[in-house]
Amino acid sequence: MPSFVPTSADTLEDQRLYTSARLVEVACLDCLARVGVKKNSEHHTSIQWTAEARGHCPELNRRTGGRDFQPACRRLVASIEAAARDGQVPIGAEDGY
Amino acid sequence: MESSTRMLDHGTPPERFARGWHCLGLADSFRDGTPHRVEAFGGQLVVWEDTQGNLNVLDGYCRHMGGDLTQGTVKGDEIACPFHDWRWGGDGKCKQIPYARRVPLRARTQRYPVVIRNDQLLVWHDVEGSEPDLEILPPVLPGLDEGLYTPWTWEVVPITDSHCRELIDNVVDMAHFYYVHFSFPTSFRNVFEGTVATQYMESKGRPDKAGGYGSPDLFLKSEATYFGPAYMINWLEVDYKGFETEVVLINCHIPTGPDSFTLQYGITVKKPEGIDDDTAAYISKKYAKMFGEGFLQDVHIWKNKVPVQNPLLCEEDGPVYQLRRWYEQFYVDRADVQPEMVDRFEFEVDTTKANEYWQEEVAENLRLRAEQEASGEAPEGADDAENPQIMSGT
Ligand code: FES
Ligand SMILES: [Fe+2]
Repeated sequence: MPSFVPTSADTLEDQRLYTSARLVEVACLDCLARVGVKKNSEHHTSIQWTAEARGHCPELNRRTGGRDFQPACRRLVASIEAAARDGQVPIGAEDGY
Repeated sequence: MESSTRMLDHGTPPERFARGWHCLGLADSFRDGTPHRVEAFGGQLVVWEDTQGNLNVLDGYCRHMGGDLTQGTVKGDEIACPFHDWRWGGDGKCKQIPYARRVPLRARTQRYPVVIRNDQLLVWHDVEGSEPDLEILPPVLPGLDEGLYTPWTWEVVPITDSHCRELIDNVVDMAHFYYVHFSFPTSFRNVFEGTVATQYMESKGRPDKAGGYGSPDLFLKSEATYFGPAYMINWLEVDYKGFETEVVLINCHIPTGPDSFTLQYGITVKKPEGIDDDTAAYISKKYAKMFGEGFLQDVHIWKNKVPVQNPLLCEEDGPVYQLRRWYEQFYVDRADVQPEMVDRFEFEVDTTKANEYWQEEVAENLRLRAEQEASGEAPEGADDAENPQIMSGT
């Protein structure tokens, strides 16, 4: 059953650009998780996990749900910062994505 | 038309209502021995309390000849139809037809599984008819049962001409907090995973938009989480001149039609030390009024905008596409939920540029106001009590 259906093919391309273009793989320095990362600027970060990566993160797996379920894993954040410093994650955006 | 012209794709709205837990209101509001009508999911529900104190929810129309059960009578544990007195039990079965020798075996209606959570009545809705998923219920609020919070202040606002996804979009919409709600977000993050989506926001008041509060003294930390498609808990820490208040806002809705829904919001405030219950309740009412005004600001935008399936974003915008991808999981069959709809996703919005610009704009507005005041004109917008200084996560 269709849900929110775009009526233009360009919309599908937009969806791709905003959700998956320019993602760079970054490996956590402390566990086996590998995530997709994008940085449009110094302060912006986009992190796309997969179920496999999520299964590897001991920090997030320790959480039990409710309110403390969502905050970021500090080790992964540090790993991404390091990758950005090393130039492994380019900083800057294309046309808004 | 030039080919480089950007066109709006309005898309087509979904043909179903979301799967998940939906809050119908404060549980106690249904406990008076009469049937209650709740508009929901394109029709209406009937809610009543039986002699055991259980709340029951059925489709609002009788399966005999379509009588309106919400206008019926509670007889014993059952709801009796006003048309021919068929008696329906909370399990959805017809228990008795007083004028008939026996009840047809097929006399079963649509029942909605219920749970009472945080004093509220939640029902499970799924067009596929699945068993209610207790794993994904919103969490129990600690301290509520222990009496550490004020009683709920609860409001119900019917919204027409908008699909409820407009309300959901606010989760990622950093800039609208400044323009629509006159607050000033300084930090903004999102995390989506499974059936849960959160917005973390820190903001301060805009001193150029209201006279009352000395807004540079007002700071707000907000953590707003949707547990499923329709029930948000918003934890708010408000710091006004060093006086801290902990507020919990429930922002929930029931879809009623293809472009209408009923918004409900409830507020409870952690009773501050040394403040009596009446004062605490008064504070809670004040917040309810403020958030209510905030919602109306959103509603005005929704009513006048068009749906857009292909929003055009700038680098400072939040992850609209990812949020909608998350939201879509509730509108497809369970078997069609894709990994990317539920995989964890995190996003930090860069508020630096926005803050620089807004800082200047606010300063300029204050300068203009001071000029007007000096020249004896009544400054526009000053002392405007309509503009809430504190905004929730929507
Ligand atoms: S329609 Fe309800 S009893 Fe006949
Ligand atoms: Fe809003």
